[in-house]
Amino acid sequence: MGMFPSLFRAALPSLLSIALALLVCFIAIAVSRSDLSIAANAYLQMLWGGLGDVPSFLGSGNWSLLTRAWGESAAKAALLTFTGLAVSVAFCVGLFNIGAQGQMTVGAIVAAVIGAKVALPAGLHPAVAIAGAAGAGALYALLPAVLKVRRGVHEVISTIMLNWVAVSLVENWLVVGPLRATASGDLSRSGTDEILPTAELPRLLGSLSRLNAGFPLAVLSAVGVWFWLNRTSNGFEARAVGLGMEAARTAGIDVRARVYQTMAFAGALAGIAGAVWVLGTEYKFPATLGAPYGFDGIAISLIGQNHPLGVGAAAIFFGVLRAGGTRMQLLGVHKSFPELIQGLALLFVAGRLIWDSVLRRSAKRAVPMAEVPRA
Amino acid sequence: MDFEAGEIVALVGENGAGKSTLMNVLSGLYTPDSGEILIEGQPTRFRSPRDAIAREIGMVHQHFMLIPPLTVAENVVLGLEPRKRGLLDLTAARNAVQKTCQRFGFSLPVDARIEDLTVGSQQKVEIIKVLYRGARVLILDEPTAVLTPQECDDLFAVMRELAASGHTIILISHKLREVLAVAARIYVMRRGKLVAQVQGSASNERELAALMVGDARPSPSIGSAKRDRGELLLEIEDLHVPGAQEIPALRGLSLRIFAGEVVGIAGVDGNGQRELAEAITGLRPWTSGSIRFRGEKLRNPSPGELRHRRLAHVPEDRLSRAIIAPMTVEENIALGRDREPPFARKGLIDFAGRRERASRLLKEFDVRPPDAQARIGLLSGGNQQKVVLARELDLAPRLLVVVQPTRGLDISAVRAVHERLLLARERGAGVLLISLDLDEVLSLSDRIYAIFEGRITGELGRAEFDEKRVGRLMMGAERERPPRAPSANA
Amino acid sequence: MLEVIEAILFSTLDYAPALIFAALGAVLSERSGIVNIGVEGMMRVGAFAAAVAALVVPTGAAVGAGMLAGAALASIHAYLSIRWRSDQVVSGMALNLVALAGVTFLLETRYSPTGTPPIAQLQRWTVGGIDGVPLLRALSGHSAITYLALVVPAVFHLALFRTAAGLRIRAVGEKPLAATTLGISVSRLRYLTVIGGGLLAGLGGAALSTATLDRFEQHMPAGLGFIALAAMVFGRWTPLGAFGAAAFFAGGNALRIGLASSAPRVLKIVPQGFLLALPYLLTLLVLAAQGTKSRAPASLGIPFEAEGK
Repeated sequence: MGMFPSLFRAALPSLLSIALALLVCFIAIAVSRSDLSIAANAYLQMLWGGLGDVPSFLGSGNWSLLTRAWGESAAKAALLTFTGLAVSVAFCVGLFNIGAQGQMTVGAIVAAVIGAKVALPAGLHPAVAIAGAAGAGALYALLPAVLKVRRGVHEVISTIMLNWVAVSLVENWLVVGPLRATASGDLSRSGTDEILPTAELPRLLGSLSRLNAGFPLAVLSAVGVWFWLNRTSNGFEARAVGLGMEAARTAGIDVRARVYQTMAFAGALAGIAGAVWVLGTEYKFPATLGAPYGFDGIAISLIGQNHPLGVGAAAIFFGVLRAGGTRMQLLGVHKSFPELIQGLALLFVAGRLIWDSVLRRSAKRAVPMAEVPRA
Repeated sequence: MDFEAGEIVALVGENGAGKSTLMNVLSGLYTPDSGEILIEGQPTRFRSPRDAIAREIGMVHQHFMLIPPLTVAENVVLGLEPRKRGLLDLTAARNAVQKTCQRFGFSLPVDARIEDLTVGSQQKVEIIKVLYRGARVLILDEPTAVLTPQECDDLFAVMRELAASGHTIILISHKLREVLAVAARIYVMRRGKLVAQVQGSASNERELAALMVGDARPSPSIGSAKRDRGELLLEIEDLHVPGAQEIPALRGLSLRIFAGEVVGIAGVDGNGQRELAEAITGLRPWTSGSIRFRGEKLRNPSPGELRHRRLAHVPEDRLSRAIIAPMTVEENIALGRDREPPFARKGLIDFAGRRERASRLLKEFDVRPPDAQARIGLLSGGNQQKVVLARELDLAPRLLVVVQPTRGLDISAVRAVHERLLLARERGAGVLLISLDLDEVLSLSDRIYAIFEGRITGELGRAEFDEKRVGRLMMGAERERPPRAPSANA
Repeated sequence: MLEVIEAILFSTLDYAPALIFAALGAVLSERSGIVNIGVEGMMRVGAFAAAVAALVVPTGAAVGAGMLAGAALASIHAYLSIRWRSDQVVSGMALNLVALAGVTFLLETRYSPTGTPPIAQLQRWTVGGIDGVPLLRALSGHSAITYLALVVPAVFHLALFRTAAGLRIRAVGEKPLAATTLGISVSRLRYLTVIGGGLLAGLGGAALSTATLDRFEQHMPAGLGFIALAAMVFGRWTPLGAFGAAAFFAGGNALRIGLASSAPRVLKIVPQGFLLALPYLLTLLVLAAQGTKSRAPASLGIPFEAEGK
């Protein structure tokens, strides 16, 4: 294995897991349709759906064939990056944040309210809405952190409970009650009022694509998290708390402050995911969140091996697959198929010690075991 | 090695000599790569503890293998449960425990949960557990480490009685005096090999120590010259600290430490030493009493604040409290001072400055390998401890609190640690040495306090050191002076 | 008024078994020290497999298929957690995602996006002699699963606290190394409890699609697995406690639905969202109040490495 760069070696179990998940799903389609070519075609469509229809583009030279797909992929990738980072950042202090779903929900509703009910100039409006969503997500994530530190309540249980509290209160009360969209004419609409045009995230390619500022913001956030963890004293202390809480406390690091701060940071990222979703894609809080984005974040975080840049890479990969999934429907393969690939990849990553053992055997040399995140 | 029925055989050796590994093989927990075990002439191979139990071998582990929330009876019968109509026969279980208790004169509450028992009682449960399984060979791994001398005597009586009734007792220990007192034969191990076999009656501590260590080198002596001590660093008055399960751990403890002296705390494990160290270093709050550091009264200090005042701490549990194993050596050295030069500048990590400082300290403290970027978890225990000392002494501490600084280290590392502590004293620091190793306390300290049940039971200057007397103070058998403040528990 | 209470009691008894069995499955697994947040996924495959099987075999046998499906998913969890010492939360979460997407895929490929075709519901039993008694007659007219759900918790409780096997499970969940020294095979026991937990969760799922309803619907079990976890924690990891909590949560849900149809004005004052959030809020409150004293098995979630391998 010595010839591989260490980065590649570290990423290998994840890459193999993804490859295996792709293979298993390929076989699943082929078997369920008893036709290999459908499976091959479905994968091709998924690829063109996510990256843009390259063959047609080459034939016609019509850029929008590519940019439209990019916009969809980038929108998905941005959400996955934010929720993935929300899980990874919490891992830094040793907490397993299952609660990204709930934090994203409260962030989204706050962004929807600020976007619809507050009048602000165009440049400022999205920024304020994002900040509000980040604050809401941060506060919502602080709750399990406080319960953990003060009362010893395991964060896995408390964040699961808080997810459902958020979903129940937002989707089954606010969105159908006080914040329900005002009916116009005889059309009764679901979800909240649409946000004001000033609050929409700017589109980067104009009418060519729905690609909005959410994606560059997500990339910047991933780089920012990496910088914080690896270059600042504060990030160093957070890592120290996660890897050895007692030793960090004994050495004089303020463990509580780091746990609160980091968990709030994680919640803020999930809250921003909600804001980007509302301000960039939906333009309101629809009837439901519709997809387990927060749980996807767990998959992205772990497939990205809790490394901020790995999270970014995994998010882009699965963002592309998911955007492409829509196109698979043309062949009668459900659009949730990429989610199955993602779930299987996570399952295979969960069994990463198997990879380690297989790789070690094939390399006939000890591969240093990468850190398995501890819950 | 061989063991006969009805005898008490001891197995001695330093930490890491392989005693416990050997006994784990004998109790089926480990499987050997090669070699043979013969029982009554039959070659035997244990694939699991079940096999060992079937061959009537039972082990009392150093760290008790009891399940805290279960009752005494449940713990004893676990794995070999009496059943009646498909259900657990708790009456039979209780009776079995009672019977064994009576035979050896124990009294144990059979329906009490293990977590509510004293350590001495827990050990009795362990022994009953082994006997319940019909063991004829009992392996006791460091059984006295956690016992009071009184409980030790009880234990030895039980051991002799068991031997008299035909059991074979294998005692693993590094306390030579005990071994000599109770064992008929003694095996000495060193670095995974049997190096000697001696008769208990025909040997002495010095001989055994020499065999264990290979070449017996004395620890550095601190020199008996009486020196002037400096300013009053730490003054503790009538300190009360709650321990686990809200049982008070310190009950009106008072002591003083001056600059330029090593003050030892002598005591049996569990008499409040841990809580004392934690209270001084800001890790545990106290309910009443006061701690003054250089004349200033401390109020709920945080560990960070105390380090800022140059109070350093070498904690007892190295792996969980002192180092972060997955991090590098230099990151561990930066721990706690990671916001200040040379480790950081303007909130950003100063990689060059950190590397330089770490490399210098590694050289100075003779850490091997001197690689600042190695993961500290991959270093030996002795080298880890040197890194910890390097970090703490780099604070230029006024007061250094060290707890069990040499536990589990090899002889050369022990010496290095001792030398460092004495050097810190030479440089004017006050050193509070808390150790369960009485020899260590006696050989390094200028002054010692004996601690018993959360109170200081006596204070001795170096000239008055006398092991017997210290031992009595540690047992609370003699009190040098009354506690300074009246206490409800007195 | 009596009729309203009777109706609520009836619908509680109809709805509760899914929750009860899932909660018991979680208790069984976690008591031996293996975290089981994959209950949701196990219920989903259980519900789906039972509904699909019921299209071709008698519904009673189809319930068995649901249990086996739950156990199959659980055995993956067991293999990863025990053999490979994977992080149990990660493995459970992964199985939830796989079950969510995988069942959706199969459902769409084979049937329709909304659910399977209707099946013959499990036969409802009439309890003789109480037909005319108000309130009490709510006990009659349920499927066998309901009556099973009233008996199994007590049997499980007895087994956990009064049999040798139960003692061993508790011991392994607290301190696996100690159990090993007494010749108990920790991994074997854990395989059994995790897979047994999968059987129970699968049964819970099957109850949804064969007894509560007469088909598998796309969103099943819609978070019920997580309420089951709440019931387990709320019931302090004991079978009877989990049963009580599950019944309580189910009752609350029946009350909510009952209010929506019979007294919608009440829901104007107390919005449904609050009622839906209630089980989770209560569980959080109990946890916060108990603090560190909440009695989770000591070795829960910590991979166990048998020594000397």
